[in-house]
Amino acid sequence: MKVMMNTGRTVPQGESVERKHSPEYESAASVCFIHPVDMMVLGIEDGAHIRLSGSGGSVVLTAVASETVEQGSVFVPLGPFSNHIVSGETHCTGMPDFKSTMVEIIPTEDPVPSVAELMEALGGVRYAH
Amino acid sequence: MLIKDVVCPFCGCLCDDLDVEVENGRIIRVDNACTLGSKTMVGDDRLKAPIRRDGKGWIETTYDAAIEEAAQILLDADRPLLYGWSRTHGEAQGIGVHLAELIGGVVDNTSTVCHGPSILAIQEVGHPGCTLGQVKNRADLIIYWGCNPIDAHPRHMSRYTTYATGFFVKDAHRDRKVIVVDTRRNESADVATEFVQVEPGGDYAVLSALRAIVRGRGDVVPPSVSGVSREQLVRVAEMCKNAKFGAIFFGLGLTMTAGKNKNVRNAIELTDELNRHTKFIISPMRGHGNVYGTNEVFTWITGYPYAVDFSRGIAFYNPGETTAIDILRRGECDACLVVASDPAAHFPKPCVEHLARIPVVQIDPHPNATTHICRLQIPGSVAGIDAAGTAYRMDGVPIRLKAIIETGVPNDTEILQRLYNRVREAKGE
Ligand code: SF4
Repeated sequence: MKVMMNTGRTVPQGESVERKHSPEYESAASVCFIHPVDMMVLGIEDGAHIRLSGSGGSVVLTAVASETVEQGSVFVPLGPFSNHIVSGETHCTGMPDFKSTMVEIIPTEDPVPSVAELMEALGGVRYAH
Repeated sequence: MLIKDVVCPFCGCLCDDLDVEVENGRIIRVDNACTLGSKTMVGDDRLKAPIRRDGKGWIETTYDAAIEEAAQILLDADRPLLYGWSRTHGEAQGIGVHLAELIGGVVDNTSTVCHGPSILAIQEVGHPGCTLGQVKNRADLIIYWGCNPIDAHPRHMSRYTTYATGFFVKDAHRDRKVIVVDTRRNESADVATEFVQVEPGGDYAVLSALRAIVRGRGDVVPPSVSGVSREQLVRVAEMCKNAKFGAIFFGLGLTMTAGKNKNVRNAIELTDELNRHTKFIISPMRGHGNVYGTNEVFTWITGYPYAVDFSRGIAFYNPGETTAIDILRRGECDACLVVASDPAAHFPKPCVEHLARIPVVQIDPHPNATTHICRLQIPGSVAGIDAAGTAYRMDGVPIRLKAIIETGVPNDTEILQRLYNRVREAKGE
C-alpha cells in the first residue's frame, strides 16, 4: 500500500528525547500511526509490525491504530526511525521532505530494530551506556 | 534549597517561572514546568567523561587528550562541517562561528531542518512579528497553522494564548478565539474554536484562497480548496478581519511540506493583507530552546543566520548548497564537529550514512544516536542546568539561563575555546 508519511513531535517522544538509549524513547519513536481502515486493507492488527520503504531507505515499525490520521496517510514521530525512510533531496531549499514522503507499507514478521542497531547498520559502533 | 524563576532550556518558549528544588547538588523537584521541561531538568543520563572509539568498542579519555584529538581531526580536514548549536548558550555559538572561520569550514545550525525555510521567506518579504507579551495582552484571535503546541510547546497556550489572562484579555476562554489549521486532527485542534483540516500538501492553496477572500475576491475561490469548503474559508476570513489583534503561529507543517519557504511567504503575505483591516502578526514556533539564538549569533558575526560557508575566506551563504543536508547528501565534507544536537537521529539516512564514513567529533553531554557513529564525544555541562549563558526565546527576546547546580563539568564555551586556541596555535596564527 502506498501512503503519504507525515512526521512530527509527540509528547512521549519529546519526554525521552535526551535518553535515546532508553526503551521509552525507542518504543515512542518506532511507532507508525495508521488509520484503522488502512490497517484492515493491509490485513493487520494493532501492534503488528510493518515495513515502511521510501526514497531514502526502509525500516520496520509497530503499527498503532489512530483515527487522527487520514486514510492514505500515516504519522511517524520524528527521529532516527522516520529518518530511515526520508531521502536527502532538498529541492535547493536545504530542507528534506520530512512531512511529505511517499512510502510503501507491507506487513512483516521482522523485528523493530533498536537505535543502536540502526546506527550499526550504517557503519557505527554501538555505545552501551 | 528552593530556586525560583528558573528558565527551562528545552523548547523555544523558554518558560522563566519554574521553581526548582535542589538538594546535595541534584535537582529533586521541578514545579510549573510541563512534562518535557521536568524530564529535561531532572534527567541525569550523561557521560561521565569524554569517550573515544577504540576499534570495535569505546574507552574513556581525558578532556586534554580529547581536545587534542578533536583539533587534529579539524586540522586534517579540507571541508569540515560544524553543525548543531541550538541546545547550547550564545557564548559557545559565537566561538563555533569563529572556529569555522579559522578553519575555512561550513557552520550550520538546526534551523536548517526546522525553520530554515521560514527564514528564507522572511528574507524575501519581511516579518510582521511581535513579542509573546504583546500576544498575551492583546490578541483576541490566535491561529495555530501546521503546528501542535500541546505536544511540542506544551505551555505556549497557557502562558501566552488560549488560557492566558492578558491586560486587554481578561477572560481568555471567552475573549480569545483559537483556530487550528492542520492536515490531521491533532490534540490542539480539540481545544480550538474552529478546526480547518487541509489535505496534505494543500496549505499553499488554502493560504492563497484566504488572501483572495480577504482582498474581496472570494468569487474566484472554488467551492472546495484542498479539502476545505469555501464556506469555512469565508468564515475564517471574517473571524480574522473582525479580530482586534490576530496572531498566527506556524510550525513545521508549513516548512517541511511541499512549497516549504513559499508556504511561509504566502502566510506572511496573508498577514500583510489582514493588516489592511486590523492588526495581525505572524511568528514561527521555534523548537529547540536556543535555536533562535543560533540565528542571532550567526547573523551578528557573519551577516547570515545559518548555512555559512567560509571556504572562500569570506562568509558565503546559499541555502540549498551550503546547508548541512545538501553538503552531506553530496558526500562533500570530510570531518564534522557536532555541538549540542543529534544529526544521526534527525537527518535523513543518506546523510547519516556519510557522517558514519567520516571522522565526527561530538560535544554533547548525552549519549544519543550520533554517539554510535562518532569517533569522539566530549561531554559539556548543560546550559540552564549546570551552565549559565544567554538564550533567545522564540520571539527573539534574550533570556539569561542560570546555572542552578554545580557539577564541575566544563561548559561548552570552555571546551570550544580550548579547541579554538589549540587549532589556532597549530596553524601558527
Ligand atoms: S513549554 Fe517548553 S520551555 Fe516551557 S516548561 Fe515546557 S518544555 Fe520547558
